[in-house]
Amino acid sequence: MSHPNGYHETTVQVDQVTKSFGEFTAVNQLSLSVRPGRIYGLLGPNGAGKTTTIRMIVNITAPDSGNIKIFGKQITPELQDRIGYLPEERGLYKKMKVGEQLKFFAELKNINGKEADQRIDKWLARLKLSEWKLKKSMELSKGMQQKIQFITAVLHEPDLIILDEPFSGLDPVNVELLKDVVLELKAAGKTIIFSTHQMEVAEEICDDICLINRSRKVLEGSIRQVRQSFGRNTVALRFEGDESVLSDPAMVTKVERHADEMEVLLAEGADAQILLKRLVAAGAVVGKFEMMEPSLNDIFIAKVTEAA
Amino acid sequence: MTKFLAIVKREYIQRVRSKLFVVMTILGPILLMVFTVVPGLLMSIKTEDTRLGIVDQTSGTKVFDAVRDSLVKPDRRDSNPKAEMVESLNANSKERVERANQAFTGRILVSKLESSAGSEDEIKRELNNKIVKDEIDGYLIIPPDILENSGASPSFYSKNLSDLPTQAQIERAINDAVRKLRLTAAGVSEEALDRLSKPVNLEVYPVNEKGEQGGRASGIAGFAIPFIVAFLIYITVLLYGQVILGAVVEEKETRIAEILFSSVKSGTLMLGKLIGVSLVAVTQLGIWAAAFGLVVTYGLAAMSSRGLDQIPLHLPAVFFIYLFVFFALGYFIYATLYVLVGSMVTTTQEGGQVAMPIIFLLMAGLYLAFPVMRSPNSSFATWLSLVPFFSPIVMVVRVVTQTPPFWQIALSLLIGLVTVIGLLWVAARVYRVGMLMYGKKATIPEMLRWVRQS
Repeated sequence: MSHPNGYHETTVQVDQVTKSFGEFTAVNQLSLSVRPGRIYGLLGPNGAGKTTTIRMIVNITAPDSGNIKIFGKQITPELQDRIGYLPEERGLYKKMKVGEQLKFFAELKNINGKEADQRIDKWLARLKLSEWKLKKSMELSKGMQQKIQFITAVLHEPDLIILDEPFSGLDPVNVELLKDVVLELKAAGKTIIFSTHQMEVAEEICDDICLINRSRKVLEGSIRQVRQSFGRNTVALRFEGDESVLSDPAMVTKVERHADEMEVLLAEGADAQILLKRLVAAGAVVGKFEMMEPSLNDIFIAKVTEAA
Repeated sequence: MTKFLAIVKREYIQRVRSKLFVVMTILGPILLMVFTVVPGLLMSIKTEDTRLGIVDQTSGTKVFDAVRDSLVKPDRRDSNPKAEMVESLNANSKERVERANQAFTGRILVSKLESSAGSEDEIKRELNNKIVKDEIDGYLIIPPDILENSGASPSFYSKNLSDLPTQAQIERAINDAVRKLRLTAAGVSEEALDRLSKPVNLEVYPVNEKGEQGGRASGIAGFAIPFIVAFLIYITVLLYGQVILGAVVEEKETRIAEILFSSVKSGTLMLGKLIGVSLVAVTQLGIWAAAFGLVVTYGLAAMSSRGLDQIPLHLPAVFFIYLFVFFALGYFIYATLYVLVGSMVTTTQEGGQVAMPIIFLLMAGLYLAFPVMRSPNSSFATWLSLVPFFSPIVMVVRVVTQTPPFWQIALSLLIGLVTVIGLLWVAARVYRVGMLMYGKKATIPEMLRWVRQS
């Protein structure tokens, strides 16, 4: 196990935390727990309070009330060294060479000398940036700079890695590259908090998610739990014949037509089996009838618009 | 501590290695020379000779000869009576400026103009024509009763009335000549005139607090040294204040601050930046001082080889320790003010405007040094030497003029030190909270709230 301090049930425990800036409440009575060795998705629209929550976890701001524990303890400067953080506000020293810059950030995490040099070379190679080591960072493309910033978050081999929108602005090749790296880190036992508003990415790599909207938590749990709790009320359907059954408002609330099939949203309380029976009874030839799981995107939109 | 050193090291190495630093280190002294010496030279260089015509309306050529002698051999000042010049300090300094300028003015070519025309108006018309035809640059009319009538005054006519040094030279020449002739006319012999005109010099001796009298000394050290220290603080703050400001704002402009704060405290960052830039300043000033030292040593060697005396400095070594300590204190007080401004603003340009009052504060300290110099142990001076923003300059003045009790020096240092730490503390807090709100300058009430909050 990669936790030298022994086992904690949670790597990050946020308890009833509130943070306001003047009149504006950025985070309201938020509780969440991140289990070790998992990828935790912090999801929500822009301005929901994700970044403020993260800043409190990494001890940049203090909560007005509530309590945060990292690795089972109150945060201290020593614990900060076990956290790697890639903020959404990104920057590098423009005129500093990439290698020197990484060395500086390593030193800020108490990694010095040869050890730091070796890790820098290893990571530059892994992210295909080795030939840029002696270039000034202003000569790098935005995507390359972003990968350098990613390295600063993982160089000191932290147990907890917090990535705020790590993939935004990257080309698909680099998104895949970073995704692989994130999954490798997970396989190595690291805990990863991953903040984004891109649901497809979250769906792909997160184990657990927490959805925040307007400074409050909307839902939390493993991806499977969340989907199940949202129920199965959409049917992917392909058939030939009478469509009149679909216009019964007691059965169907919405029909979305695609190229050769349709997505049917069942009315509340309606049973998919009865819909199938009635279709068959009406003489339709059913080519496809499949219960669909709601996508994270659907859940996200449903939850956010519901609150509005 | 490793983190702090990492910040200091980065700040220092990045700056010292930059091209700007190398260029400024080499060009700095040259630019300083260019900006201080050259305008002075330009002001005082006169490229052309002045052709002056003199119309002497007195009988005989006595007055004309005396004025001409005085103009052509202007530097017989030592034999001139000084008594009248000592009316006030101002007149005295004016006098000094004129003498310095005189060395650079062009020659004055004097010609005696005989006029055929009768009335004064006709003479003037004729001479004005000469000016227009560029035969002369100006003319002087000496009235006939100049020796007898003390109210009579000569008049000068010229196209260019802006050449004040030349006019001053002419005025002084007439003055000397006429005064001398009037005295001779009153029966004073030439020999008596020279003897009686010898200036009186005031000899000054210091008395210390034990009542002992020291050797003959000069007050110039007491006057000059505080100004040298004040000037050094001023120049250093002027040169590096903006650099410190830029260094503090750098992480905000490049948006690195958030990453840094996930690793270090804002106070560590502030202090690291301040020390890093200060070491750069020490390096640069050190290089300049070494170059200056070489020139001076060489110059002194050259002087003594020509048999010229070196000027010994009669100041105890402890003075130089005080000078250094107060210079360092002054530098850090003003440097932390720039740190504070840097923590408030979001861009360097914005910081430049907000930082303006710092310079005024510094200059106020310089002006306040004057009254302190004249009465260094007044209660005004004592209080002022405890106020942190003025103490570095004012206390140095007091130490050099009449050394105050040690406890006052120590208290002044302590207050200054507390100020530096307090300013850094506030700056660190303002920086940390302000960093979370990009793109917005902090207002004073907001800052106060942030300081209380965090």
